[in-house]
Amino acid sequence: MRFFTSLTLLLSLTLTAHAAEIQLLPNRLKLNGPEARHRLVVQQSSGQTLGAQVTEEVEFETADSEVAEVVNGVIHPRGNGSTTVTASVGDATSSIEVTVSGMDQPFTWSFRNHVQSVLSKSGCNQGACHGAAQGKNGFYLSLRGYDPEFDFWSITRQARGRRIIPSDPGRSLLLTKPTGMVPHKGGVRFDEESLEYRVLAEWIAAGQPEPTPEDPRITELEILPKQIVVKPGVTQQFLIRAHFSDGHVEDVTQWAKFSSTNSSVAEIDKTGHADIKGHGEGAIVAWYLGQNVVGLITSPYEQTVPEHIYASRSENLIDKHVNEKLQKLNIPPSPLCSDSEFIRRVFLDTLGILPTEEETRTFLMSEDAGKRHQLIDKVLKRPEFVDYWTYRWSDLFLLSGERLRPKALDAFSKWIREQVEQNTPWDEFARKVILATGSSYENGAVNFYTLHQDPLDTAETVSMAFMGMAINCARCHDHPLEKWTNNDYYGMANLFSRVRAKGWGGDFRNGDGKRDVYVVERGELIQPRLGKPQPPRPLQGEPVSFDSTDDRREHLVEWLIDDDNPYFSKAIANRIWANFLGVGIVENVDDLRLTNPPSNQELFDALAAYLESEDYNLKSLMRLILQSETYQRSSQFIAGNEADERFYSHYYPRRLKAEVLLDAVSQVLDAPTKFDGYDEGTRALQLKDVNISSYFLDAFGRPERLATCECERSDEPSMVQVLHLVNGDTLNQKLAQEKNWIGHIVDQKLSDETIVDSAYLRAFSRFPTSQERIEILTVLSQTSPSERRQMIEDLYWSLLSSREFLFQH
Amino acid sequence: MLNFSGKGSAHTCDGINRRDFLQVGTLGAAGLSLADLQRLRASEQAEGNPKDDERSVIMIFNLGAPSQLDCFDMKPDAPKEIRGPFQPMSTRGDFEISEIFPKHAEIADKFSLVRSCYHTASAVHDSGHQMLQTGRLFTGGVISPHAGCVTSYLRGRRSDLPAHVILPEPMGNTGGGMPHGQDAGFLGKAHDPFVLMADPSKPNFKVPDLLPPDSIGEARLQRRKKLRSIVDDTVKSFEKSEDARLLDTSFESAFRIISSKEAREAFDLSKEPQKVRERYGMTRFGQCCLLARRLIEAGVRFVTVNTFLTVFNEITWDIHGTKPFTSIEGMRDVVAPMYDQAYSALIADLSERGLLDKTLVCNLAEFGRTPRVNPAGGRDHWPQCWTSYFAGGGIQGGRVVGKSDPVGAYPAERPVAPNEVIATIFESLGFDLETHLPGPAGRPFPLVDFGTKPIHELF
Repeated sequence: MRFFTSLTLLLSLTLTAHAAEIQLLPNRLKLNGPEARHRLVVQQSSGQTLGAQVTEEVEFETADSEVAEVVNGVIHPRGNGSTTVTASVGDATSSIEVTVSGMDQPFTWSFRNHVQSVLSKSGCNQGACHGAAQGKNGFYLSLRGYDPEFDFWSITRQARGRRIIPSDPGRSLLLTKPTGMVPHKGGVRFDEESLEYRVLAEWIAAGQPEPTPEDPRITELEILPKQIVVKPGVTQQFLIRAHFSDGHVEDVTQWAKFSSTNSSVAEIDKTGHADIKGHGEGAIVAWYLGQNVVGLITSPYEQTVPEHIYASRSENLIDKHVNEKLQKLNIPPSPLCSDSEFIRRVFLDTLGILPTEEETRTFLMSEDAGKRHQLIDKVLKRPEFVDYWTYRWSDLFLLSGERLRPKALDAFSKWIREQVEQNTPWDEFARKVILATGSSYENGAVNFYTLHQDPLDTAETVSMAFMGMAINCARCHDHPLEKWTNNDYYGMANLFSRVRAKGWGGDFRNGDGKRDVYVVERGELIQPRLGKPQPPRPLQGEPVSFDSTDDRREHLVEWLIDDDNPYFSKAIANRIWANFLGVGIVENVDDLRLTNPPSNQELFDALAAYLESEDYNLKSLMRLILQSETYQRSSQFIAGNEADERFYSHYYPRRLKAEVLLDAVSQVLDAPTKFDGYDEGTRALQLKDVNISSYFLDAFGRPERLATCECERSDEPSMVQVLHLVNGDTLNQKLAQEKNWIGHIVDQKLSDETIVDSAYLRAFSRFPTSQERIEILTVLSQTSPSERRQMIEDLYWSLLSSREFLFQH
Repeated sequence: MLNFSGKGSAHTCDGINRRDFLQVGTLGAAGLSLADLQRLRASEQAEGNPKDDERSVIMIFNLGAPSQLDCFDMKPDAPKEIRGPFQPMSTRGDFEISEIFPKHAEIADKFSLVRSCYHTASAVHDSGHQMLQTGRLFTGGVISPHAGCVTSYLRGRRSDLPAHVILPEPMGNTGGGMPHGQDAGFLGKAHDPFVLMADPSKPNFKVPDLLPPDSIGEARLQRRKKLRSIVDDTVKSFEKSEDARLLDTSFESAFRIISSKEAREAFDLSKEPQKVRERYGMTRFGQCCLLARRLIEAGVRFVTVNTFLTVFNEITWDIHGTKPFTSIEGMRDVVAPMYDQAYSALIADLSERGLLDKTLVCNLAEFGRTPRVNPAGGRDHWPQCWTSYFAGGGIQGGRVVGKSDPVGAYPAERPVAPNEVIATIFESLGFDLETHLPGPAGRPFPLVDFGTKPIHELF
C-alpha cells in the first residue's frame, strides 16, 4: 500500500503538459444570472492527488454554446439550460456539468455582497484609508466592510449624500475619486474600464439598493484547488468561490485578498496567482467578505528516499502520522537517540531536572528491552513532575506577586499544585477555573478573577488559555484573520458580565488580596458600536436568553469542553506536544487560527481525538508522546533532513528553559540557589512567583506572567547570557562555594578517572569519549596539588558552559 | 539576481552574464554559499573604499512619538485647537522650531528637518517602530532586520566591540504586542545588537558581567577556554541547529569583548571628565548619548538610543493627555529639557571632535500626532505626517526638506516614506542599495524595496 502511494506521487510529479490525467475545476458548476462568469482551472491529477496547473495547450469545448461559452479560460453564461464543458490537453480530457439559470431575471449588484467586495479589494476600507477608526478626510467606512449598514449610510447619506449623484452616476465622488478624475490622496484605485467601476456605476444607476436582512449571506468560502503537490518553478492560479445562503455560488477570485503563510515555499500576487519557490509546505490564505479559506501547497524535496526508511513497527499513532508526512515530503527521519540522550531528554522535558549520576548509571547498564517504557512510567509518577507542571500552568495562569497578594498567590499556587497532583482531567481543570466562586483565600482558582476583572479581558484570556486563540482583534472590528466578528466577541464577553467580586477595582494588589467572587442575576455588557448588549453566546455557540438567571459561565463551559468544539482539545494537545518536541504542530501555540494551519493536520486531529478518548487525561497524552519513535529520534541530522524545522524528522535541540538551567547548574554542583523568602534548597521550578529577583532567570528569558502568551518566554541564546555564564556571579559563585560537590570530591581524594567520569555523567548523562578522557586527564595530571580544586572548578565550568549542557538534544 | 556589485556590463534580462555565472559556479564548487559571496562582496566594497568603513550612525529613537506641531513643525497661524500652547522660535538654521528646545535652536545649522514623513500602516506604536528601523512592516512571517543589524551583517565588527549596540535597553511594551524591529530578524540572531541592560546615569553604573570576577585571572580564563574546546569539540550532533550555532557565535563575541581593554574602557563613563558628563545632563538619555559617542569612537558602527522604553506610566513623548500616558505639560517640563540638552551636547561634542562628518545622527519616531488637540488637552497617534531630523554623516545642516499642509496633517510636498528614511541611513553608510541580503530560507532580499531612493536633498 505504501509503495503504491509513493508511486502515484511520483507519477503526479512527472506528468508533463501532455498529462495522462487531468482534472477540470470546479467539478460542477451552476451559473446564476448574466454576471455569473466563472474561471476554470485545469490541474494535472493522479488519483485523488492534484498536481500542477496546466496552462499551455489547454482546449475547452462546450457541448451547447447557446448555454455557455469559455473565453480565455473563463466560462460565460449565454442562456438558461444545461451543458457539458470539456477541457482537453493532448489525449487527456476532463468534463464538468454546467447549469445556467436566471438569465431572464433582472440583475442588480448587491451592496452587501458586491459593492462591499469592490471597496475591500480596492483597499478603500483598509486600516490605512477610510477604514481607519477616524476615517480619512471625513469619509468613514468600517474596517474591511464588516458593517455594511453603516457603510451604506456613510456612502449614500453622510455629508448630505454628496458622494453619490443618482442622476449621473459617473460624476459621483464614489467613482471620480478612485479613478483619479478628481484629486484623491489614496491615488488611483481602478480605471473606468474595470469591473470595479462597472459594479459601482451600475449599482448607483440602479437606485443604490440598500443592504437588507433578506440579502443572501455568505455561508462558506471555498478555494480551488484545495491542495496540490507540485515542484518549485511552477505557478498556480487559485480560484475563490463564495457560497451564499440562497444556494448560489460566485467566483470571487477577483475580489479576494491573498497572502502566503510561508513565502519560502510560495508567493502569491493579488490576483491569486502563486509562484512556487521552494520545498516544504505552505498555505495560501484568501479573505473575502469577512471569511477566510486556506489552500495547501506541498512541494516535496527532490531526493530519492528508499522506501524502507519509513518502515516502522511502531504502533504509536504519532509515528504513523509523522512518517506519512515525512514520506509525502521525501524527508528521511533520523535514527533513534542513544540511551544517554533519552534519559536526559525525558528528565528535562517531563521533570525539569537532570537524572542523578546513579540513575543514569543504572539506566545505561540495564539490558532490559523495555527499559525506556519503564523509565517513562516511573518519571510520570515522580514528585518533580508536580513541580514542573505546576510551574508551567502557573505561567499560563499568570501567577505573579506583581498582581497577587502573598496569601492569594499561595492559594492559587496550592490549587494548581493539587490539580497536577491529582492529574485532574483538563476539561475539569477548565471548568474549575471558569466557574470559580467564593473566597480567593479558600478557593485558589478564584484568583483567576482577581487577575481578570473586566469581561473583555476575561473573555480574551479564556480564549487564549483554553483555545490557544487570540480574539482581541475582534474587540474593535471583525477579526481580519479569523471568522470572529465584533458581535461574536461581545457575545462571548457578555457571558462574564454578571461576575462580581468584593474587593475588585483599583490596583490589583489593593488590600489583603482577599476577593469574594459571586454571580449576580442581572447586568449586561454594552457593545459600544451598537450601544446595546449582544446575546450572551460562546463563539459560534448557541446564545443564552437575556432573561435567564443561570450562571452564564456554565453555558460557556459546556460549549468549551464539548467534543464538537474543535479548539479546546487541540489547544491543550498542542501545548503538551510543544513542551516535548520544542515546536508546536501549530506554531506558535498561542496562535491557533484557520489562517495559521498545522504542519500536520492528520497528526493534530489524531492527538486531539486521542485526548478526548482518554477523557482529557494529560498524563496519557504525555505517555503516548514519550513512547513514540518520533520523540525518541536523534537530534543528529542525516542527509536530506537538515532543513526540516516543522515535520519532526529529528529532535530539535533547544536551550534549556531559564529555571531548568539554573536548577541543573545547582544540581550538578550540589550548590542550591537561595531565593528571597524561600527555604534553603528550593529549586527555581518550585517558586510560586516570577516576582522573585534573579538576574540569571531574567537574562535567560523567564516570562513576566503579565499576559497569557507563551511568547513571554524566550529560550534563545545571547551574548548577554554568555557574559553572565562566563563572568557573572551565578556559575562562578556556585563553583567556588566551599561545601559544594567539588569540595566533596576534593575531600574524598578520588582518582582523576573517577572525577572525569562523574563530571560527565552529572552534566551530560553520558561517559566521556576516550578522546575526551585522555585530553582532560592530561590537563589534570599537569596540575599541581595546590591548584587541584581550581582545576576541577574549571573542568566543571567548561562542562556547564558547553552547548551540550545548555541544550536539550 | 546574482549581480551584487551592480557594476557588471552586458547583462541578460535576468541579470546574469556569462562571467557572473562562471564566477558563481566556481564559488559554489569551492563551497561558498550565496550569503558568503555577499559578505565577501560587502567586505571588498568596504576595503575598496576605506572612507565608507569609517562611517557610523547614531539612531535616536523617540519612542512614544513627539508631536510635530509642538516640536519641529509649528503652525502658529492655525486655529488654537490646532496650534497648541507653545510659541515658535527662530534658529541658526533655515527654519523655526518650538520654544521648548532652545538648545536645538543654537545648533540648528548642524541638522536638517524632514517635515513630510508619513506611513500608511496602523497607528500603533509597534508597527511604526518596525517600519522606521527596518524600512518595512512585518508581513507574511518575514521579520526584517534593524538597519544597525544590516550594518553588522554587511560590514561586521570594526573593533573588539560589537557592530551594533542598543542603549539603554530594547523597546518594551508599547501596547501593540508586536515585535519592534530592534533585532536582526531574518539575518539571524548572530547579528542581533548588543544590548546594554543598565542605566549609565546611575552612580554605580557598570555593564553587567563585562569583567570576570577577580578570582579568575587570565591564566584560568585561558584554561577554561581550552577545556571548553575539548568538551565542545566532541559533540557535533546538532551543529546545524541554528540555536547551537548562535551559542557559539555568542561565545566568540563574548570572549572578544571580555579580553579587550579598549572594549572595556569604551563602556567606562568614569573616564570622562565630570564637566563633559554634566554637559550631556545626568539623565539616562543624556548619559546614553555620551556613551554612544564613546562607543562610536571605540569602533562601534551603529548605536541605537531609545529615549524611552515604554509609553505607560512614564513621562514620554506619548502625550495623549490622559493616564497612563503623558500630558503636554509633562513633555514641556520633563521630556524637552533633558532631550534638548543631551542632543545639543552630542552634536556639539561630535562636531568638536571631528566625528560629525562621518557619523550620521538621525532622530526618528514611529509617527506624528493628531493635528487637533483632543478633549484631554493632548494629541493622539497620527501616522499621516510628522518630522524626522538628521545631522552629520554627509548631511547638510540648516535645511528643511518636504512640507506639511497648513495644519500639519498631511505632507504637502515631498512625502517621505519609512523606507526612504532607511535608504538615507544606508546611503550615509555608503551601502550599495542594490545589495541583496539572504532573506528567509536563503532567498535574496533587497536591502530596500525596489526603487527606493535616499532623501537626496539632505546631502
